Amino acid sequence: MEVSVSHEKNEIIVRFSGRMDTPGAQEIAPQMNALTEEADKTIILDCTDLTYISSSGLRIFLTFHKASLEKGGKVIIRNICNEIRNVFMMTGFLNLFEIQ
Amino acid sequence: MKPNRKENKGIGMTLRARLLLVVVAAITLEATSIIQYVYSQRGIKQEASLRAESELKSAENKIMDVVNQTEAAVRNSIWVAQWCLDYPDSLKRIPQRVVSENPVVVGSTIALVPGYDKKYPLYAPYAAQDMETGKIRMLSLATEEYDYPSMEWFAKPLESGESYWSEPYFDENGGDMLMVTYSVPVKDRNGEVAAILTADISLDWLTKLIGGIKVYPNAFSMVVSRSGQIMVCPVDTLVMNKTVDQFALESQDREALDRVNRAVLSGKSGETLVRYKGQNNHVYYSPVERTGWSLSIVLPDKELYKGVRRIGLLVNVLQVLGLAMIIIILRIVTRNQTKYRQLYEQKERIENEIHIASEIQMAMIPKTFPPFPERQDLDLAASIIPAKEVGGDLYDFFIRDEKLYFCIGDVSGKGIPASLVMAVTRSLFRAMSAHETTPERIVSLMNYSMSEANENNMFVTFFCGVLDLTTGQLRYCNAGHNPPVILTDDIKELPVEPNLPLGILKDMKFVEQETFLQYDDALFLYTDGLSEAENIAHEQFGDHRLKEALRGRKRSEEHLKNIAQKVALFVGEAPQSDDLTMLFIHYLGNASQSSNHLTLPNDVKQIALLPEFVDAVAKQVELDQEAASNLNLALEEAVANVMMYAYPEGTDGEVDIQAVVDGKSVSFVITDSGAAFDPTAKEQINISAEAQDRPIGGLGIHLVRTIMDTVSYERKDEKNILTITKTYK
Repeated sequence: MEVSVSHEKNEIIVRFSGRMDTPGAQEIAPQMNALTEEADKTIILDCTDLTYISSSGLRIFLTFHKASLEKGGKVIIRNICNEIRNVFMMTGFLNLFEIQ
Repeated sequence: MKPNRKENKGIGMTLRARLLLVVVAAITLEATSIIQYVYSQRGIKQEASLRAESELKSAENKIMDVVNQTEAAVRNSIWVAQWCLDYPDSLKRIPQRVVSENPVVVGSTIALVPGYDKKYPLYAPYAAQDMETGKIRMLSLATEEYDYPSMEWFAKPLESGESYWSEPYFDENGGDMLMVTYSVPVKDRNGEVAAILTADISLDWLTKLIGGIKVYPNAFSMVVSRSGQIMVCPVDTLVMNKTVDQFALESQDREALDRVNRAVLSGKSGETLVRYKGQNNHVYYSPVERTGWSLSIVLPDKELYKGVRRIGLLVNVLQVLGLAMIIIILRIVTRNQTKYRQLYEQKERIENEIHIASEIQMAMIPKTFPPFPERQDLDLAASIIPAKEVGGDLYDFFIRDEKLYFCIGDVSGKGIPASLVMAVTRSLFRAMSAHETTPERIVSLMNYSMSEANENNMFVTFFCGVLDLTTGQLRYCNAGHNPPVILTDDIKELPVEPNLPLGILKDMKFVEQETFLQYDDALFLYTDGLSEAENIAHEQFGDHRLKEALRGRKRSEEHLKNIAQKVALFVGEAPQSDDLTMLFIHYLGNASQSSNHLTLPNDVKQIALLPEFVDAVAKQVELDQEAASNLNLALEEAVANVMMYAYPEGTDGEVDIQAVVDGKSVSFVITDSGAAFDPTAKEQINISAEAQDRPIGGLGIHLVRTIMDTVSYERKDEKNILTITKTYK
């Protein structure tokens, strides 16, 4: 599981790659928690290279979402593959997030 | 199987070759003897010819001596006779003198031509030498009975006026002997023939002379007069009674005899071949000057070639003996060769039988590798490299009731007896293990059978093991065999009770031992042919080289090949002293990562191992990637739940996952020994709720429920057991 964060003018782009399974989510959790401080901005979660997600990963996304609602920011999920779209569907996340 | 006879060609001599050899030898010998015979014959003939010629010459010379003496005796008296013609009474002294002064002359006369003297119309005083006394008697030939003027010796020279040698004749008047007469006409002053002066010579001396010519023992000589009368001949009866013509009549070879006859009569010398009375005769002939006689030597071929015939006979006898020897020697040699061939065939047959025995022996032990290609939990390989054609090593294995029964053994001794015992051992192993389940029982029963009928005191070092493939439990019993090597994280000897080899003590109590094999553990069994393999310097391969060779994980077959190569490299040129037998058992079942079973320690990081496990299970029901991914997600959520809730953070524990694949359904049984925790008791979450209303937890079990068809929990034996099942249509 790898993650890269790039700050631009008004938005933060977070690029995930690999499997966001339980250990993968645990690994990136501290970094992601730090990012919620900046939830007032637009956070783009780029999932182009993400192949798998489990509930632990979904929780990170949900945390971002809740934080942005609190701080008036915005969370956009970009480029999810079919498997992940399927998981989003099963959990109702498709309706929760703005997905590009 | 028929013995291979191809190589027999070239050994031994075929009957034809032997026959040919004898024939060639016979021809060579015969040709040699014929050549030798012909040349000897020719040489002998030449020599005989030379000898005959020289004999003839010398005989002729001797005859000529006598002839000359006789002629001289007569001639020397002619002038006296002429002188005495006028005084006929004095004439009688002349023959007297001729006889007395010439020893060769046996009689002499001077016979007046009838009517020459008035006083004596017939006058012929004859002086004869008495052969016994040597005295000279005076006789007169002028008798009525004798009628000398008609005699040849008188008539011929009177008629021709020349001297004349008479034909031989038997003189009854004078000497009562065979004689010839030399006559010379005596002329008076007017040149008229007045008287004939003669000298007689006996043919006795001629007979003696001719008889003395012995060119060869059975050869004989003849003197023939000019009319063909035989004068001298070893057969007395022929003398004067037969002419050469009569011989010719009797001969089967008239033509040749005629030839001789003519030649002889015409006074020529030479030689010819005459067939007479069934025999070939060489006749050498030569004329005697002036007398008209012919001297001949008759040499029967039989006689002439007697020597060479004898040699020829001897040679023939030797040839036959030689040939007989050759045949005998050939027979002896052939018999020996037959013996060798028989020995060779026997040897070949034995080797062949040993080879068959070896094949039978090899057919007994399983040697198709991998032996259980369908099994994921076992990788087994074995090999025997025999030192001799047949060895006394064995291994065997089979699976019954999910248990691997295996053994390795080494029979004392080598060769066929060892291989027989090996066959018996293997049969006993199969027989005993067919209904016995513990190595101790198998080994004890085998030992009992083998000790009972062990008259040759053969024994077998034996190791028998039973590996439970589901649990990894290994029970084993060692009967004097060298300890196997166990490969775990470490490489070390499996601890074994030495016990006694099989076949020594009937009531031996064998101790059984037990251990557990974990996933990826391996057992390497071998016979002392491996550890005691020697190089030229008599160093042994040894345990340290073996352990070195066993390092690293590879397929069992590769391990064996690698070890065999290392041993071959180590041994080099030294001959393989003992059978080299190896059995490699690589256990890939039970305790952990078998395809349908997984045990994870309590650590969420272990969840990373799940995708591989699930993939293997998914393959069994031929799931696509999305379904496999969902299955993985459900399992991950279930396991993560256990790790997060059943075990308080930091506590040790294990999560055991058993996948059960049944036709079109997949179940995971997740067991842990943590605190009681029922995930199904959790409230269902509302997935259509707004974000702020959604709890952080509960998503996992929601996913499990969504993906799987049934999710059930039970608490049993202080364990949480969660079973999740998905059925595919």
